[in-house]
Amino acid sequence: MPGASSRLIAIACGTAGLAGFFALWQVIGHYQLAGLSWPPLTAVLQYLFDPDRHALFLRAIDATLRSTIAGYLIGALTGIGLASIAYTLPMLQRGSDRFAAVVNSIPSIALGPIFLILISREATPAGVASIHVFFIVYVSMNSGLASTSQAHEDLFSALGSSRLKRFLRLNFPSAVPAIASGLRLSWPAALIGAIIGEWFGAPRGIGILIINSMQNFQINLLWSAVLLAAMASLFFFGMLTLVERAAYRRFR
Amino acid sequence: MTGAAISIEHVTKRFPLKGQSAGVMALEDISIAVEQSEFVALLGPSGCGKSTLLRLVASLERPTEGTVSIGGEAPGSLAARHALGVAFQDHALLPWLNVHDNIALPFSLANKPVDREAVGGLIDLVGLNGFETARPGQLSGGMRQRVSIARSLVLSPEVLLLDEPFGALDAVTRRQMNIELQRIWSRQRITTVLVTHSVDEALFLADRVLVLSARPGRIIREVATPFDRPRDPAVMRSATFHDLVDDLTDALHPTDATAHAGR
Ligand SMILES: Nc1ncnc2c1ncn2[C@@H]1O[C@H](COP(=O)(O)OP(=O)(O)OP(=O)(O)O)[C@@H](O)[C@H]1O
Ligand SMILES: [Mg+2]
Repeated sequence: MPGASSRLIAIACGTAGLAGFFALWQVIGHYQLAGLSWPPLTAVLQYLFDPDRHALFLRAIDATLRSTIAGYLIGALTGIGLASIAYTLPMLQRGSDRFAAVVNSIPSIALGPIFLILISREATPAGVASIHVFFIVYVSMNSGLASTSQAHEDLFSALGSSRLKRFLRLNFPSAVPAIASGLRLSWPAALIGAIIGEWFGAPRGIGILIINSMQNFQINLLWSAVLLAAMASLFFFGMLTLVERAAYRRFR
Repeated sequence: MTGAAISIEHVTKRFPLKGQSAGVMALEDISIAVEQSEFVALLGPSGCGKSTLLRLVASLERPTEGTVSIGGEAPGSLAARHALGVAFQDHALLPWLNVHDNIALPFSLANKPVDREAVGGLIDLVGLNGFETARPGQLSGGMRQRVSIARSLVLSPEVLLLDEPFGALDAVTRRQMNIELQRIWSRQRITTVLVTHSVDEALFLADRVLVLSARPGRIIREVATPFDRPRDPAVMRSATFHDLVDDLTDALHPTDATAHAGR
């Protein structure tokens, strides 16, 4: 199989790149090339995996992931729902596009206080995350719906399909790969949204660790929190990449 | 006897085209009357408007001038009644459905329960036994065309529109499909318009063969086939058949004929 060997090469390159990145991090930290605020990787890992701090980090990542997942689901369902309604009722399309664009143009740092007032401190991270996800999923679903092939549209017309049947049996399945891409891309955005949302007074979370350690100059804690967030982001991103691939295989 | 008569009266179709104020004239003042339960084949050079003609009957396009009606109704109401069967040049199978579900799709769009026997029978007819659960992506071009033909027949429509349905098939399979289509058509007698580039196919299948001129399409030749139904493939070896083939080929390639005459 020619695909297998090129896949192996890609994996090897990726691993080498990552190893190089970690080595550079270690060297810069070890020789303090970037000053005291850049610790070596080994020091950060030691700090992060210290059994005494397990409870601290677990509590933080648990809270952040809960907010992220809640915001992710709410944002994805709202995005898919609004895109579906706008597509089946064309008179709403323009209005809902504007609405989505306006929502997206508000910086998330400004969204935080709004959610703080509207809902609770605890729910603000999920709220900010959901806005990020909503926009990405809404836009990708719209472009997916628009990618329906004309030959298929013609077939459904000739067969006398109703609007609803056309949407359910043609437009929506045509949009599934694009929706899956949107779902993959919106995960990191959801995590960033949740972390920003935590800065507005959430009781716990990675965002809280980041901001506290920054203010108290706890360098190792700061880097550990960032590393933990990056790992959570990459893990779910990888899973969603697999889902996306499956969607492309199934619906293309 | 099923079917509805198709009447195309003084139809002109112009497509807007950038840079040309008059647009593209695809069809000019064309009139065709297809009787109920008649099988008409259209021959003509590429780009002469054959597909456009079928799309007008399927209500996918509107005529610029003139009228199209089916059994006295507007073409759109036939589609709305789910009484139209189409197999177009582009097979238009849904890539996420398997062969069986693609063929059964018209039932769902017509809000009818799937007649599994009818679907199975058609899969058999187009020779795709064993491929029921295969996806279009796993089929060859010719197999996809056969799925699309099966799908066009599954609701026993009143009008059947076929646009080069056998274009991607090899000669042997094509002949087999012609024989099969002839057999089921002789049973059901659905009013049919077939677009094809094969003179043999047109003569073997149709009651009447029309030849269109190069763009803008006009009817330049009309031949009624004198063969009884159901037709035996042996008619293709008869002298009458060969004469008609020559006749239609001449009409299709006037330049060839002139070239021969000049020599
Ligand atoms: N949607 C469209 N917009 C603009 N021009 C079009 C459109 N559809 C068809 N045409 C033009 O109309 C003419 C007839 O096209 P049509 O597809 O009907 O030809 P055809 O006889 O089916 O050809 P072929 O045998 O190659 O399939 C062509 O010149 C084509 O460029
Ligand atoms: Mg054509």
